Amino acid sequence: MKKHLFAAIVLAALGGAFAATPQDTYVYMQNAVFDSLDPVQAYDGASIGVIENIYETLYSFKRDVPGEYEPTLATSYEVKNDGLTYVYHLRKGVKFHSGNPMTCRDVEYSIERILVTMPGDSGAWFYGDALTGYGNDALTEAKKALGENASQQEIDKFLDAYWQKIDDSVVCDDLYTVRFNLAGPDVAFFAKMLFTAAGVVDSKWAIEHGAWSGTKDDWKDWIGVDLRTGYLHNHASGTGPYMLVKWDDKNIVAKAFDGYWGEAPAIKNVLVQAVEEEATRLEALRRGDADRVDVNDWATVNAKVKQMTGVKVWSDPAWSLAGAHVVFFNFNVQGENNPYIGSGKLDGNGIPRDFFADVNVRKAFAYSLDQDAIYNDIYEGNAAWYTMALPPTWPGYDPDIPIRKLDLDKAEEYFKKAWGGKVWEKGFRLTITHNAGNTVRQAVAEMLKANIESLNPKFKIDVVPLQWSDYLKAARAKSLPIWPLGWGADYADPDNFIHPFYHSEGSLAKRQNFKDPEFDKLIEYARTLVRPDQQEERFAIYRKIGRMAYDVLPNVPYPRQSPFIVTRDNLQGVYYNSMISGAFYWKDLSKK
Amino acid sequence: MFNYIARRLLQIPVVLFVLSLIIMGLMQLLSPEQRAAAFVTSDKQIENLDLIIEKYHLREGFVVQYKLWAGEVLRGNLGFSRISKEPVLTTIRKRFPASMELALAAFVPIVLVGVWLGTQAATHRDSLLDQALRVVAIVGWSLPTFVVAIWLVAWIYGGLGWFGIGRLPSSLLIELAAGDFRRYTGLFTVDGLLNGRPDITLEALKRLVLPATALVIVVSAGIMRVMRSSMLDELGKDYVRTARAKGLAEKAVVYKHARRNALIPVITMAGPMLGRMIGGIVVIELIFNFPGLGEWAAKAALQLDVTTLLAFVMLIGLIMATANLLVDVAYVIVDPRIRYE
Repeated sequence: MKKHLFAAIVLAALGGAFAATPQDTYVYMQNAVFDSLDPVQAYDGASIGVIENIYETLYSFKRDVPGEYEPTLATSYEVKNDGLTYVYHLRKGVKFHSGNPMTCRDVEYSIERILVTMPGDSGAWFYGDALTGYGNDALTEAKKALGENASQQEIDKFLDAYWQKIDDSVVCDDLYTVRFNLAGPDVAFFAKMLFTAAGVVDSKWAIEHGAWSGTKDDWKDWIGVDLRTGYLHNHASGTGPYMLVKWDDKNIVAKAFDGYWGEAPAIKNVLVQAVEEEATRLEALRRGDADRVDVNDWATVNAKVKQMTGVKVWSDPAWSLAGAHVVFFNFNVQGENNPYIGSGKLDGNGIPRDFFADVNVRKAFAYSLDQDAIYNDIYEGNAAWYTMALPPTWPGYDPDIPIRKLDLDKAEEYFKKAWGGKVWEKGFRLTITHNAGNTVRQAVAEMLKANIESLNPKFKIDVVPLQWSDYLKAARAKSLPIWPLGWGADYADPDNFIHPFYHSEGSLAKRQNFKDPEFDKLIEYARTLVRPDQQEERFAIYRKIGRMAYDVLPNVPYPRQSPFIVTRDNLQGVYYNSMISGAFYWKDLSKK
Repeated sequence: MFNYIARRLLQIPVVLFVLSLIIMGLMQLLSPEQRAAAFVTSDKQIENLDLIIEKYHLREGFVVQYKLWAGEVLRGNLGFSRISKEPVLTTIRKRFPASMELALAAFVPIVLVGVWLGTQAATHRDSLLDQALRVVAIVGWSLPTFVVAIWLVAWIYGGLGWFGIGRLPSSLLIELAAGDFRRYTGLFTVDGLLNGRPDITLEALKRLVLPATALVIVVSAGIMRVMRSSMLDELGKDYVRTARAKGLAEKAVVYKHARRNALIPVITMAGPMLGRMIGGIVVIELIFNFPGLGEWAAKAALQLDVTTLLAFVMLIGLIMATANLLVDVAYVIVDPRIRYE
């Protein structure tokens, strides 16, 4: 008897058998920690993945249909004045989690709060670009415009003008009509308004809790501040289907909002946990303690996840991430005593600064990159090909542009042509860098080294890993001759790729000193095509840029892993939208 | 004794001051850009690196930066942790109890198991048992912590479905987030009882079993080795021979006389060990999803979050100094011949 009692106690203590999460609860274990729940501050996938369920924007993504949107806090919108004015008509009867009603004042407050604070480490810059014409906060812009020695009077005058721009950029025509006055035509404005930073915040509640007052009185106190120290950093009042219950360091708890204007969601409780160890996440999934977990790569999915029972891997070859990875060439390497270009001359011990300005060199490198090996070996075939630096599912992408695959004969042919034959004759030495710990970029660098060195004993390539901060710093200083790097979308418009990658003023092209007037002209023209009926013309220009990029070759795009989602098999309503940070909205989930 | 303790207590601020100088000094070896990396969450911020450097005075010299930091600390502000995205003090308040609970849960079994096995090995010197225990000790000592931890997670939790990971199950985390559960101590095992919720205490205990077991497997081997050799030392001494000659029972000789003296090196080792465990066993916290101080500090070190690192080092300095003091006091209890003037 005693023995049985003991066994019973032990079993009870052990936790017994299989423990699935409750039917109305969704537990998601992700690999990243949350940065901030303030919509203006958040610029990382983990935070945005939560915010997009708590706050709402005027329009939102239509489930998994790329490029299609549905009205959310707005019911319709109009583009006027040659694309300089956007008018949105707001939904009536919407309540915030605090119980306050949502009106145009809240929209005005939310967008102006972005323009007032403009934290440097957030996505605020693209709202500034669109609405005031300033991509930095007021004080930074004042310093840039007036120099270090400006008088206080000059600064004040500048700030007054800056404030006026903010004030004029968002106007309430009435309680349910908001008008945005743009600084210039912006093809991506509608898309920018879908990003979580434009999530509508409960202005009354925010002001009550010490946020910016919404007036000119205290706006200067909020310029460029780090919003992580503010109340909205870890508290929330949005209009979304879920309301924040608590952010407890590594756990975010949310529950369905009873007063939601839309359909009541099936899932009532949500727990999002930052669990950084993959093995732990996988075991929690196996046990049913998590409904969804982040898995790092396809190799783990194939080797471990697919062997588990009760688990589902959601994937589709048509899915692609909202990003592109490329190998960048620097057309004019900068920096004194630059360690990455050896002697700095074409003498066999280095490269001249404009080594990659010769298209033959770039083509020779492109033919030395084994794209098939990246696709098949690194990603085990679960990847998407890239013909240009734009996600394959996005409008403007041209799947028919050829991809240069490994062809050492061609590589040799171009190396022999390069620099009038001097490259082949003298040889060269250069360094390919990658950020330490990024195994894909390391493989890309090693692959180039092995293939190119096999062509000619005078070709020498060193592969050097750099710490992330050093890597970014060196790229920013334009001192890297050749480097692999990625770019993720901020907003769902192809301009967010085409401009940074291919325009001489684009943030990425600038770092490689790439300037081609033909590209610039086309991209600038495309930016004027703001009307809905001009979009086809715009996308055709992007396809043309893709074809031009094949010939000019400012960078070499390479395959990226296809996305996938790992859940328990009783979870329903899962879909993939590359612009939703969590892949789908929680409100669409249910359990069977 | 009182004077001695008072003197030792007064030394603690000096130790902390020196520690802060060392950490801040080491940080100066890194470039401003490297230190600014802690503030960067996206590669798109490259353009803003200079702004960050200026805003946080990262280009200033050692003295200016130290003064800025020390000034804030004296006002009771330990700064904002870039790693946990909240004030350093808030994080310490949340994470310290987790580390404390885990360290305490593991510490007692580690010492008991280590002392007991060490005693057994010494009293059965060169026997099969001794040899076997030696092998166990070497295996335990050389097993990487993460191997033991992942094995426990995969086999016991994942495979058998026993115990759990994290501090509490998700349903309780959701319930506690919304409810009126009061955190008196931050230790769920204790707070569960104080709130009249023994189920929470039981769940918290269940989740301590696996990480504590991993620690026992890895750490008690060290205690056992020390205990064995110290015990052998004592057993070879004259007073033991005298006790045996007087006809005292072997059990009394071993447990009452020799073991008491043999414990001194174990105490010397155990004090800092507890300190280090509170400081965090990063791997254990990471794998068992146990949000303690170690994981926080390790990330701070990787991302060069100076504010967090300084606070963490000071806290651990304080814990270690206190642990050492307690060790000294424990000597007196174990061996009354020791006197402090």
